[in-house]
Amino acid sequence: MSIEVHGLVKHFRVHQRKPGLRTSLRGLVRREYVEVRAVDDVSFSVAAGEVVGFLGPNGAGKTTTLKCLTGLLHPSEGTVRVLGHTPQRRESSFLRQISLVMGQRNSLFWDLPALDAFEVNRAMYRIGEPAFRAALDELIALLNLEPLLGKQVRVLSLGERMRCELAGALLHIPAVLFLDEPTLGLDVNGQAAVRSFLRDYNARRGATVLLTSHYMGDVTALAKRVLVIDRGTLRFDGNLAVLVEAHSPHRLIRLSLQRPVPVDTWSAYGEVDSVEGAVVTLRVPRAETTAVAGRLLADLPVVDVGIEDLPIEDVIRAVFAGE
Amino acid sequence: MSRRSPYLRILGICWRASISSEMEYRLNFLSSAAVSIFWMVWAAVGVSVYFRFTGQVAGWSYPELLVVIGLFFTVNGLRQAIFEPNLERIGEYVRRGTLDMLLTKPVDAQLLVSFRYLGIGNVMDPLLGLVVTGVGLALSGRGLSVGALPPFALLFAAAIALLYALTLALMALAVVLVGAEELGSVSFAVVELARFPVQLYRNPVQSVLTVLPIAFLTTFPAQALLGRLNPVLLLVAPAVAAGSVALATLTWRRSLRSYSGASA
Amino acid sequence: MNDTLTAYSGLLRSSTQVALTYRGRIVLWFVSGLFPLLLMAVWLTVSAESGPPAGWTSADFISYYAAAALLWNLSGQHVVWEWDADMRSGDLSVRLLRPIHPFHQYTASDLGHRAVSLMMLLPVLVLAALLVPGINYPLGVFDAVAVLAAVVLAYLVSLVMASTFAIVGFWSTQAANLWMLWWGIGSFASGWVAPLDLMPPWLRNAALVLPFRATIGFPVELMIGHLDIRATLVGFAVGLAWLAVFSGLYVCLWRRGLRRYQAVAG
Repeated sequence: MSIEVHGLVKHFRVHQRKPGLRTSLRGLVRREYVEVRAVDDVSFSVAAGEVVGFLGPNGAGKTTTLKCLTGLLHPSEGTVRVLGHTPQRRESSFLRQISLVMGQRNSLFWDLPALDAFEVNRAMYRIGEPAFRAALDELIALLNLEPLLGKQVRVLSLGERMRCELAGALLHIPAVLFLDEPTLGLDVNGQAAVRSFLRDYNARRGATVLLTSHYMGDVTALAKRVLVIDRGTLRFDGNLAVLVEAHSPHRLIRLSLQRPVPVDTWSAYGEVDSVEGAVVTLRVPRAETTAVAGRLLADLPVVDVGIEDLPIEDVIRAVFAGE
Repeated sequence: MSRRSPYLRILGICWRASISSEMEYRLNFLSSAAVSIFWMVWAAVGVSVYFRFTGQVAGWSYPELLVVIGLFFTVNGLRQAIFEPNLERIGEYVRRGTLDMLLTKPVDAQLLVSFRYLGIGNVMDPLLGLVVTGVGLALSGRGLSVGALPPFALLFAAAIALLYALTLALMALAVVLVGAEELGSVSFAVVELARFPVQLYRNPVQSVLTVLPIAFLTTFPAQALLGRLNPVLLLVAPAVAAGSVALATLTWRRSLRSYSGASA
Repeated sequence: MNDTLTAYSGLLRSSTQVALTYRGRIVLWFVSGLFPLLLMAVWLTVSAESGPPAGWTSADFISYYAAAALLWNLSGQHVVWEWDADMRSGDLSVRLLRPIHPFHQYTASDLGHRAVSLMMLLPVLVLAALLVPGINYPLGVFDAVAVLAAVVLAYLVSLVMASTFAIVGFWSTQAANLWMLWWGIGSFASGWVAPLDLMPPWLRNAALVLPFRATIGFPVELMIGHLDIRATLVGFAVGLAWLAVFSGLYVCLWRRGLRRYQAVAG
């Protein structure tokens, strides 16, 4: 097993802030603390080479779990072993086998030209010259970095920066790659580029990948296995297709109409999710989505149509409701 | 590959980038040098006012005082070039998650965080400071004696080490407090106290400034150059410096542990 | 000229320069805040070793520098750095869109900050005045009114001088440095480096007609009771005259500077 987590618990003492001037003044002298359980008894294992997605709404505990796995946080209770090491000890031999990439975070070396930043990584991971050259050339080709090499990382667009971050993180060919919201803030093209790259990379190199996201799309594209975490507890651990089928049986069709249409029209097509003027959202069984969409386009004065998955929060709510 | 060289190589790359980015603004570079010269002249003239009424203050003549003032500018210049740019960024590292990224790398965060940036906007200060010191030595009639150089070098190195210890302790505080950019001013204020030799303040201030090792920053190195150094200090200064750096390093490590919730 | 314009617009885009400006401000502010105490300590040593210089006793020095510290907090100006930062970042354009003249915007915010820092400083100073032996401000009612007027004048002169240098920023990227130069040279004539009584006679005389004394030395000398009626009136006259001069200069530069700003940066 690459990663083994047993009974992980992480709690924080958070100063509770109440509104009002008097309570703020009192707060200067006596502070009230509340214990927040960010992660509450989470257990799972990941085999070498697996790609696992960690799904959950914001504040669910995904990032906290990730930080415990990478040694950034000490667990309050429970055990964590990654590649046979205890992450919080931060042994050099451990750190050299992993990599952490976080979406929209600045690297320390962001005002260096990209190529120099890669050289810094080479020094940090003590990568030999031939290995470095080989890895760098491969990554430059895969991520299309040639035009970016001379530019300072901070002047790159978010998508370009992400590609550079990924390259930098993989130069030392880590056994485990941790990704925290890697497509956060990227446009559709950027997201697609990152997802396809990670898929290819995993196929080539067989690295274990643990990816947290609140975008369903990240997980759908990359991971067969998914862990759903909500309010610190693990709600689901298993095959993604199963999750989707069981708990997200619907998709949403969003229509922009040329002119408003009587409300009773919709019952023939699906359940109405919301109506805002000329924009109507319908809930339709997954299997029938394309067919219904086709009928809508043929029958009604539709200006624009979009098809989406239910928001992750709804899926997760469904996951809980199912239990 | 030896353990040292990765850090040297990394810092080399980073410092090269700092230098080239600051070099882009030539006008500012030149005016910084002019400003530095101005403040040195200002200090030299300002101090001369005391000597309208006396030939020496607390055993220091005017040229001897210039030696100290020159060293003050040197030490302060190094502070502005090496320590200050890094201290002001710690809060940002914590807020933006940069510190987290760094902590997952197989390197010691302390070295990188301490020396990542090089501010060469005021690169003239240390050099000009030494010029003022030289002028002071010449005017005092002593000149620069070769025998004074080794003790001076030792004490000067101790002074810089002490300054580093202070900076590191402030960085540790900044991690825990998440920001507090005003901490840079603490470092600045501490060094300002070393502008004059501590004897000028008389007791009790003088004793206080010797114990908080302000006197080690400029007064003692100056005394070494002037051949007035109490030999005991040749042992005491390195010990105090090493002790301070060790204490500051412990403080830094403690703050990182607190950051990662080790105690919680 | 072209070089200046190119450099200027380049700097507007760079945030590194904002950091440099911030550093300059901190330098001046802290040096000025702490510094007089260091200078005072040395005077006390001089007085103890060689006797009262020009008749100034330890008590005189302590009274003087305590008052000077108060005055610095009242009249020391940050406005140049605020302008500088706003010009570089483009925030000045935002200010110009508001219906109030930027001068008043900066002044209003400055007064706000000053009130807060005064609230914290005043109790400390009052306590010091009561507890520290030697601090002595022999003021009757009439004198107190004069001191108050002098303090207000000190604030205004500093403000308008600094604001005038600030708007030099329309033409030069070095406005803040120029202000530091002006202030630095003026610090000898303002009574900040040392009481003017202790300066060489030529400097003392020059200081009587220069604007700097109005910002610190004049109110402080009033507070410690060193000025007779005639000297007081002369002090006010000089201060008011310089206030008029700089106000006129400001208005003149403002019109031209604004036109230039609108042509270049807008």
